Amino acid sequence: MAMAEKFDSLEEHLEKFVENIRQLGIIVSDFQPSSQAGLNQKLNFMVTGLQDIDKCRQQLHDISVPLEVFEYIDQGRNPQLYTKECLERALAKNEQVKGKIDTMKKFKSLLIQELTKVFPEDMAKYKAIRGEDPPP
Amino acid sequence: MENFTALFGGAEPPPAAAAALGFGPAKAPGAGAAPPPAAAAPPPGEDAARKAAAGPFYLLRELPGTTELTGSTNLITHYNLEHAYNKFCGKKVKEKLSNFLPDLPGMIDLPGSHDNSSLRSLIEKPPICGSSFTPLTSTMLTGFRLHAGPLPEQCRLMHIQPPKKKNKHKHKQSRTQDPVPPETPSDSDHKKKKKKKEEDPERKRKKKEKKKKKVGGNSSSCRVMPRTSCPRRPVQDPELHLCSWHLPQSCAPRAGNVFSRVLPTNSPRRSRAQLHTGPAQGGGGC
Repeated sequence: MAMAEKFDSLEEHLEKFVENIRQLGIIVSDFQPSSQAGLNQKLNFMVTGLQDIDKCRQQLHDISVPLEVFEYIDQGRNPQLYTKECLERALAKNEQVKGKIDTMKKFKSLLIQELTKVFPEDMAKYKAIRGEDPPP
Repeated sequence: MENFTALFGGAEPPPAAAAALGFGPAKAPGAGAAPPPAAAAPPPGEDAARKAAAGPFYLLRELPGTTELTGSTNLITHYNLEHAYNKFCGKKVKEKLSNFLPDLPGMIDLPGSHDNSSLRSLIEKPPICGSSFTPLTSTMLTGFRLHAGPLPEQCRLMHIQPPKKKNKHKHKQSRTQDPVPPETPSDSDHKKKKKKKEEDPERKRKKKEKKKKKVGGNSSSCRVMPRTSCPRRPVQDPELHLCSWHLPQSCAPRAGNVFSRVLPTNSPRRSRAQLHTGPAQGGGGC
């Protein structure tokens, strides 16, 4: 089963479950003696709904959810904000590391350049071993 | 001098700059990181060969491979995440949880700690229950016999919905036109009002007639309602905008049913309900 289908199945079951609970709430909010049978049925639908959701667990055992997402949901915030912040953080860190790497490369070339002036023979040997470095 | 020798002993590795050049063993990034395989102590024969190859330089290591993935490449493009980046970072993501789950009933934007419904508490203190769900027997269901009557207001959490912002349609004409000086109430105003009052019942009649015509037309051909949130199953709308849910045969939609109510055509709840609408399926499925 494709990944999207697995999620669709879970989503569908969750939607049905939520809808059933909502209907249960409507019955209970203004209860009439005649609606006892309907209430009993809804309660059993709730159990079967939970069974269906539990079955989906087997298909999604390889999915891991970061705990931070739950914090967002608990605070009543959109969990997509977590994804957004993760992407922004990743890009910022990526740029930071790239900057460091570029700076180190520049430093290396300058150091080789200066060392060549002071120790030309040794640096010639070094270059023979290492080969010519590409310019940064 | 003693201090100097203590700090930089003969067997000490060269400084970091030299290590960066490949002269000596550079410290791996991050404390406690395992040394690379090249830094591991080689066998004595191999060491001698390396010394010969290195010439006057000691502790010469091989440079890291250029194929290694580092931060110098754009990792978002490397992992094909441009679409996700543009989706989430290109436009403003709405802050509230109800914007992400617009069809969920209740006040979901409130913190979970308020009503002890947080997911974290569910993880930290999982409910004590069995591993399987068993249907309730008739004897068990006797525990759910309720008294007739409405719930008190403070218990009606299900019906509370967050206030939705409505787009106010501002009249462009009133903006563009110059402000009209307020007229003093005169006879002409009264006449206008009277005229309006006279016209109103006629208009109402006309509207009613139109509505009747429309309803008649719909009853003959079922209309497929557009789904706003979940475009999974378009469902045919029964007549008179009655909204029915996924119900068993015994609770199939009828005029006085608890689950049938009149909703406006563009109501979000309507589109939600349509997910489970359809011919009542025999008992199962809910």
